[in-house]
Amino acid sequence: MSGNSGTASESITYGSVGRGIQERLIKLLLFSCAALTVLVTLSILVTLTYDTITFFGFEAVDVVSFLTETNWEPRSGQYGVWPLVSATLTVTVVSALVAIPIGTAAAVYLSEYASPQMRSVLKPALEILAGIPTVVYGYLALVYLTPWLRAAGLPLGTFNLLSASVMVGILIVPMVSSLSEDAMSAVPDSLRQAGYGMGATKFQVSTGIVIPAAVSGVFSSYILALSRAIGETMIVVMAAGLQTNLFDPLDPFGSLASSGRTMTAAMVNAVTSDATGASPEYYSMFAIGLTLFVITFTMNLLSNRIAARYREEYQ
Amino acid sequence: MASDATDVGKWFGDAGSIDRTTGRLFKWGCLGATALALFLMLVFLLYVFNDAFAPLSADPGWLLTFTGTVLLPMLGLGAYYYRRDPAAGRVAYTALGLPIVMGLFAGGVWLLFRHVAPPRMWFGFVVALAIVVALVRAHERIRPNATDERTVLLVGGTILALVGVPGLFPSLRNLVLSAPALPTVTVMFLLTFALPIATLAGWYVRKGRESTRAGTIALAVVLVAAGLGLVIGPVAGVLPATWVIAVSPVVGALVMYVDRVLRQGEGTSGFAFPVVVVAGILAGTAIADLADFAGPETWLNRDFLTGVHSTTAVEAGIYPALVGSVLILIVIVVSAFPVGIAAAVYLEEYAPSGGKLGRFIELIEINIANLAGVPSVVYGVLGLAIFINLLNMGVGTAVVAGFTVGLLILPIVIISTQEAIRSVPDSRRNASYAMGATKWQTVRNVVLPESMAGIFTGTILALGRAIGETAPLLMIGVPAVVRVSPESFFSRTGAMPRQILTWSTQIETDFRYGVLAAGVVTLLVVLLTMNATAIVLRNRYQQSR
Repeated sequence: MSGNSGTASESITYGSVGRGIQERLIKLLLFSCAALTVLVTLSILVTLTYDTITFFGFEAVDVVSFLTETNWEPRSGQYGVWPLVSATLTVTVVSALVAIPIGTAAAVYLSEYASPQMRSVLKPALEILAGIPTVVYGYLALVYLTPWLRAAGLPLGTFNLLSASVMVGILIVPMVSSLSEDAMSAVPDSLRQAGYGMGATKFQVSTGIVIPAAVSGVFSSYILALSRAIGETMIVVMAAGLQTNLFDPLDPFGSLASSGRTMTAAMVNAVTSDATGASPEYYSMFAIGLTLFVITFTMNLLSNRIAARYREEYQ
Repeated sequence: MASDATDVGKWFGDAGSIDRTTGRLFKWGCLGATALALFLMLVFLLYVFNDAFAPLSADPGWLLTFTGTVLLPMLGLGAYYYRRDPAAGRVAYTALGLPIVMGLFAGGVWLLFRHVAPPRMWFGFVVALAIVVALVRAHERIRPNATDERTVLLVGGTILALVGVPGLFPSLRNLVLSAPALPTVTVMFLLTFALPIATLAGWYVRKGRESTRAGTIALAVVLVAAGLGLVIGPVAGVLPATWVIAVSPVVGALVMYVDRVLRQGEGTSGFAFPVVVVAGILAGTAIADLADFAGPETWLNRDFLTGVHSTTAVEAGIYPALVGSVLILIVIVVSAFPVGIAAAVYLEEYAPSGGKLGRFIELIEINIANLAGVPSVVYGVLGLAIFINLLNMGVGTAVVAGFTVGLLILPIVIISTQEAIRSVPDSRRNASYAMGATKWQTVRNVVLPESMAGIFTGTILALGRAIGETAPLLMIGVPAVVRVSPESFFSRTGAMPRQILTWSTQIETDFRYGVLAAGVVTLLVVLLTMNATAIVLRNRYQQSR
C-alpha cells in the first residue's frame, strides 16, 4: 500500500486530463450499486404482485374467501388465510411476552448498572447469541425444549406452537436488548444528573427518567423485534409442525399445545411439497409472501420513523 | 420529553428515608433477566455438545488422562494470566485462536481446490495474472504519469491473460498450461499459494522491523514450513499438496502475529499457552494409547466430516453439504460485497444532501434500513421468481443460492460499511484534498484503507449470518440430500443448514440426538469462530481509535 500511495501522491498534482471522465464513470458505477437496493425492493414487489395475481386468477381461489374463510387446505381447494394468520399472531404474541421483559431488563442493566468489565462480557455474549442461525434454534426447540416442557408436565404435542414461540422469543432477545440499550445510552447524562440532583436513587433515575426518555427508541426496538418474529421461518417450520389449526379463544392453552402452521411455514410447505409448479397451492406462497412483505415492511418503516424521532431530539 | 413523564412538584427524596430494597431488587432482577437468556442458551449448547461428543462414553482413565494433561495446565495458565499478566492472557487466546481461524480458512480453500479449481487451472490463472501485474508495475516505473495508458494496459492485459481473443489468440493462461514441462502439483501450490503468503508475511515483518533481513527470515520460515510437507506429508498420511494448503496460511499468520507481539514486547509469556495445549494433547494421546484407554464414541468425528448422507445414522456424514456451503459463500463474497461496499461509498462520500437527487438518496437510505428487516423467506421467493423462473439459472445451484443470500445480506453489508466509513475523521479527507487529490483518489487512498478494519468486521458478521440462512435455500430448491459434492458453481449443491433440517425430520433417536447434534456443532463451530473473530477485531479496532 505504501508504494502505491506514494506513486499516487506523485501523480495527484500532475495533469488532470481524462480524470474528469474517470471520476464521473466511477461515480456513476457507485451510484448504480446504491440504486440497486431500490431495484431489489421494486422487484420483490413486482414479482410477488404478479404471481399473486396469477394465484387469484385460478378458478379454485377467490379473494373474498381467501380473506374471510377459516380453512387452509390446499389439497381440497380451500384457501382461507385465517388459520395461518392466527398461528403467526400466536407466535408473535408469545415470543413478545418472552422477549420484551427479558430484553428490556437486559438493556436497563447494560446501560445503567453494569460495570465496564461486566459490559465487556455480557454485550459480546448477547451478540454471539444473535449470531446463532435460526435452524439451530429450531433444532433446540424441537429436540430439547419440547421434551423438557413435556417432562415438566405440560401436555404438548411433538410439534407445538408453545416451544416454537418461546424459542422465537429467545431469538429476538438480543435484538430488543441491543437496540433498547442504544436508545438508553443515547439519553444525555445531564438528565440523569438532574435526577440525582433532585435526590433520586439509581432505581428512580432508571425507571423515572431514562426509560421514559428513551421510550421511543425502546418502542421502535419492540416493533422491529416483532416484525422479525412474524417473519421467522425455520423455528416454526421445525418445531411448530404443519397442521393448520385456527386459534381457539376458549381454549388458548390447547391451541398453544398443538401444532400450527404460520404464514412462513405455509410458504415453505408450498414450495417443498410435491405441488407442481402450475397449481394454485404453489402460487399461494406468493400471495402469503406479499402479505408478509407488506406487514413487515410497514412495521420496519414505522419503527424507523419512531427511532428517528428520538435521535433528532437529542442532537 | 423526559421531564413530562415525572410528576411535577414531587421530590424524589420526600419520603424522608430512601428505600434501597426496591432498587436492589430491580438491579438484581435486571441482571437476572440478562443472565437467564444467556444461561438458557448455555444449557442448550452444553446439551448439544454432550450429544455430539458424548464425552461420558469414554473410559474414566481417558477422561482423567486428558484432564491432567490438557485441562489442568490450561486452567492453571489461565489463572496465572488473569491474576498476574492480563496482556499475556490476550496474547494467549489470540495465539491459540489465530491458528484455528486460519485452519478453518485453509479448510475452505482446500475444498475449493479439490472440487472446483483443479491445480492446473489455478496455476495458469495465477501465473497469467502475475505476468499482467508485473507488466503494469513495470509501466508504472517507466511512465509514472500515463494513468490512462496504464488503465488500458490493465484491462486489456487481464482480458488477454484470462480469455484471449477467441479464434485468433489463445489466452495467456492456456499458453502457460501448454508449456512442455509443468511442475508437480505440490510445487504448483508452493509457487502460487505458499509463496504469496510467505511474501506477505515477509513484507509485513520487513515493514515492522525496517529490516530486510528479518523480512527474508520470515519469508523463509513460512516457505520451509510449507515445504516440509514433502517430507512429513507421506509420514503423517496426508498428501504434500494438502499440507502446503493447510500449513502456509496458519504459519504465515502466526509469523506475523509473533513478530508483532515480540516487537511490542508485552505479554510474550502468552505464547506458552498454545504450546502447552498442543503438548498436552500429544501427551494425552500417547498415554491413552499406552494404557489402552478407549476414547469417547463421538458423533462428530473424521468419518462424519468426510462422509456423505446415509440412511443409517452411523454412516451419515456432512461432507457434500460442507462443500456446498463453501461454494455458496464464495459466490456471496464475489457478488454481494463489492456491490455493498460500493453502494456504501457512494452514500457516504458522493451522495448530495439536497435537491431532487438528495431526496432520492434519502429514499434509498430508508429503503436499505427496511430491506434489512424483510423476512429471509421473502428473499427466497424473490430468488425463485427472478433467478430460477425468469433467468433460468437452474434450481438449487450454488450461483442461485449465493445470489439470493447475497441480496439478503446486501443491506447489512451496506449499513456496516457506512458506519465504518463514517468513523474516518474528516481531517484525513481534507488533507488528501489539500494535496490536490480527486474524490476517487481520496476514497481509494485515504477513506477505504482507514475504514478497512471496520468494513472487514461488518462483512465477517454478515457472512456468518449468510452461512446460517436456511429459509431462502428452501425456497430456491436446494436439495434436501446430496450424495455427490458439487463440481462447479452451476451444479446443484447442498448446504449445511439444509442438511441439518433434513436430519431433523428423521425420527430415529440416533439421528435426532447424534447426527443432528454433530451437524449443528459443525455449523456452530464455523459460525461462532467467525463471529468471535469479528467481535474481537472490532473491540481492538475501537480501542485503538
